[in-house]
Amino acid sequence: MSFSRRNFLIATGVVAASSSVLSACSSGDSTNNTGGGKQDAAKADATVVKIGTAEDSKGPAPEVSGAKKGGTVYLLNDDDFSHLDPQRIYYAWNSLAAMVLSRTLTGYKIADDGSQTLVGDLATDTGTMKDGGKTWSFTLKDGIKWEDGSDVTVDDVRHGIERCFANFITEGAFYVQTWLTGSAEYRKSYPGPYGGKHLKSIETSGKTITFRLSEARPDFNYVMAMHSYAPTPVKKDTKQDYDKKPVSNGPYRVKTHVTDKSMTLVRNEHWDPATDPIRNAYPDQFDFTFGIEQLTAIDRLLADAGKDQYATSWRTIPQERIQKAQSEAKDRVFAQLGNGVSCYWINTGRVKDKSVREAIIKAWPTAAIRQLQGGSVRGDYATGIMSPLVAGYESQDVWGKLKNPAGDPKAAKEILKKAGKSGYKVVYAYQNDPTQAKIKVVVENALKAAGFEVVTKGIDSTTWYDQVGKLDNQFDVYWGGWSSDWPTGYSVFQPLFDSKNVVDQGQNYSHLKDPAVDAAIKAATAETDQDKANKMWAALDKQVTETAAFVPDVYMKRIYMHGSKLGNVKMDPNFDGSMLYKMYVKS
Amino acid sequence: MLRFLVRRLLGAVITLLIISAVTFMLFYAVPRDPARIACGKLCTPETLELIRHNMGISDPMPVQFWHWLSGIFLGREYPGFGNCDAPCLGYSFVNREPVLATILDRFPTTFSLFLGSAVVFLIFGIGTGMLAALKQGKPLDKIASSASLVASSMQIYFVGTLALYLLVYQWQVLDQPGYTPFTENPGQWFGGLLLPWLILALIFTANYTRMTRSQMVEQLQEDYVRTARAKGLSRPNVFFRFAWRGAMGPIVTIFGVDVGVLLGGGMITEKTFSIQGIGMLSLKSVVNNDLPMLLGVMVITATFVVLANIVVDACYALIDPRIRLA
Repeated sequence: MSFSRRNFLIATGVVAASSSVLSACSSGDSTNNTGGGKQDAAKADATVVKIGTAEDSKGPAPEVSGAKKGGTVYLLNDDDFSHLDPQRIYYAWNSLAAMVLSRTLTGYKIADDGSQTLVGDLATDTGTMKDGGKTWSFTLKDGIKWEDGSDVTVDDVRHGIERCFANFITEGAFYVQTWLTGSAEYRKSYPGPYGGKHLKSIETSGKTITFRLSEARPDFNYVMAMHSYAPTPVKKDTKQDYDKKPVSNGPYRVKTHVTDKSMTLVRNEHWDPATDPIRNAYPDQFDFTFGIEQLTAIDRLLADAGKDQYATSWRTIPQERIQKAQSEAKDRVFAQLGNGVSCYWINTGRVKDKSVREAIIKAWPTAAIRQLQGGSVRGDYATGIMSPLVAGYESQDVWGKLKNPAGDPKAAKEILKKAGKSGYKVVYAYQNDPTQAKIKVVVENALKAAGFEVVTKGIDSTTWYDQVGKLDNQFDVYWGGWSSDWPTGYSVFQPLFDSKNVVDQGQNYSHLKDPAVDAAIKAATAETDQDKANKMWAALDKQVTETAAFVPDVYMKRIYMHGSKLGNVKMDPNFDGSMLYKMYVKS
Repeated sequence: MLRFLVRRLLGAVITLLIISAVTFMLFYAVPRDPARIACGKLCTPETLELIRHNMGISDPMPVQFWHWLSGIFLGREYPGFGNCDAPCLGYSFVNREPVLATILDRFPTTFSLFLGSAVVFLIFGIGTGMLAALKQGKPLDKIASSASLVASSMQIYFVGTLALYLLVYQWQVLDQPGYTPFTENPGQWFGGLLLPWLILALIFTANYTRMTRSQMVEQLQEDYVRTARAKGLSRPNVFFRFAWRGAMGPIVTIFGVDVGVLLGGGMITEKTFSIQGIGMLSLKSVVNNDLPMLLGVMVITATFVVLANIVVDACYALIDPRIRLA
């Protein structure tokens, strides 16, 4: 894959808005921080994702203090969901809706303090691992039903996964397909369930489903929380048309949906809260209106009149309204650290000398870049590539970026001189948009001050990833962002730094080929003890940072707003948007 | 008249064919791969090839155009996406619906926007222009001329945003703009579109006021008007029966073009007020690189312009007795 799902938000136009995310509920030091100041590590926002027990997996979800059932919540959004068919869901904002429509074998139980526990959602627990992670079994809970009252069965779970192989499912994740067939060209091994055949690597018995994987995947239970692997009812599968009206097993169902215009979700009467440890589901109804510009949505929320008092938007507040929102509606603004990490890749295939890469990192004007993107509201200074929201995160500062985020061209010049590379030509590629054009100037000046010769190349934003994804892209430094598909280190380091991914349109954007890193990824992947594995991933964060294959930028934050009559509106750290299933309507 | 209409309709078909062919080639010649866009971020070569096949874009461009053209009469099937019944203007791989179905879904919104604003700007624009011409050189004329100059230099995104902020968010005297089908709730239809109508009409009213005034002033100085007056016809009779009809020709011409353009979507108006019409659809298609949708909107817009011009040409004969259609 070229991106992770949350990464899409970073990669597209949303970046402009996300560049202005505020740190309201996180550490005070980061909010008060100015562009060029120092900053402690982003540990205040770090949360631990732990693996829950069977007891943790039991419903109902803990009640939200002061919450009550009833009412309608209005969602004001610019875009419709691109997909509701769970197998086609990969991007984060689609998952926000899928969270209340399509339950998965496992899921994340999010506490009031933002900490997460992986629990069994449809399954009784987080699964049983055998053969060092090559075999996984999950048993379904009793009493879980589809919206028509029929039972959710292991056949439905299997059907959901087998549908991922069909030729019309081209957008979802493909991790599990690859592991189940042992081939990246998984459709050649199995064409999907519509010919009447099942995958041999999935076995069902009673209420238990067993997966036999081609490689050890000790964190497979995390992967099973992805909506791409949610069940689809065998008898109600309408193939391509399922995207328009999926069958729900969550607390709400789709009542009406007019593409790009509106959608109404109403209660699914067959959802039993006693089976659900994750969702509260307080409102009776959600009314979505699509096509509302971000600025218009925020202006309406600021006005807080009529139905808009019961409204929220899950696009981040545009930069030009942040100050107004903070001053006029402080109690209705909420912000959190997202899963995204911003960085600048250094093409190690071209910039082979590590000293040169070090000089680039030393000279890099991180503080000025952040300032151009809204200052501290953009995010906390990053020191590595692993988000504080990924299990096992440990604070480190290999390049002293927290001490001197402004960059040190003088020190960089020294490094360059010592390496005999003064005047080294750096080709810096940037997206042709107003913000990145400003950043280009800052970067150019900083690198020139460090003794580099700088060539800048503007690229059309729509073809950005196609261009920088080319193996022979002819660029030395370029922006990138990453967020993990599930919160373990594998989802960060394997795609980004495994030398196998140094291919055309691969995700190893720095083109790093380091046998030591490859070996460390392999070892951490195979580690069945998740605590040990998490420690290994944290060590790997330091290890890859030391290779100087990227310039850490920021751990990105997002800021949202809601109407005055909504309570407990909080951000889902996994999907960077409001948790529909936790909010409630005030009387 | 019939021969005229048949001739013009045939010409319109050829014009639309040329427009669609040129647009098709321009869109598909640009270095943006719709399959790559539809493939999303988790794109493997295998998946990309599958999507190309599903979209039917692995064929040479002339073959693709032929498929698109024949689809209008025969319909098409897009494996992996769905069926597109005739008349099929293509299939949007972004919102996964036939292009024409989406356009038809948005059309009532755009038509409502056009209808209401046209009523306002025609009544006020032509009325004010006529009054200004009648009171040429007097205070009323000066006020009307100055006001129209100011209004015509306004931009919808500025006046609209300002009006939205004051009238809707601050003072809350008008409803939040939006579209409700007339058949569903006429009151909400009117209330939701009132502000967009007024703002859109404000700009157009100014243009029509200035156009009507200048045409009327010109006509009032024509020999045939002077003759009519000399023959003893009353002033209103001369004004409405002779001068007004003479002045209407250019106004109808401009209106014809405006009809086509407005039915093609008031892009800025729809975006300013977050109204999901054809204008917003085309804007979104540009942003999303939804080339099939953009092509469909272009063809439909061109059709409106061409048809409106045929109607205008036919109207000339009805308005001005000096013109007769061959």
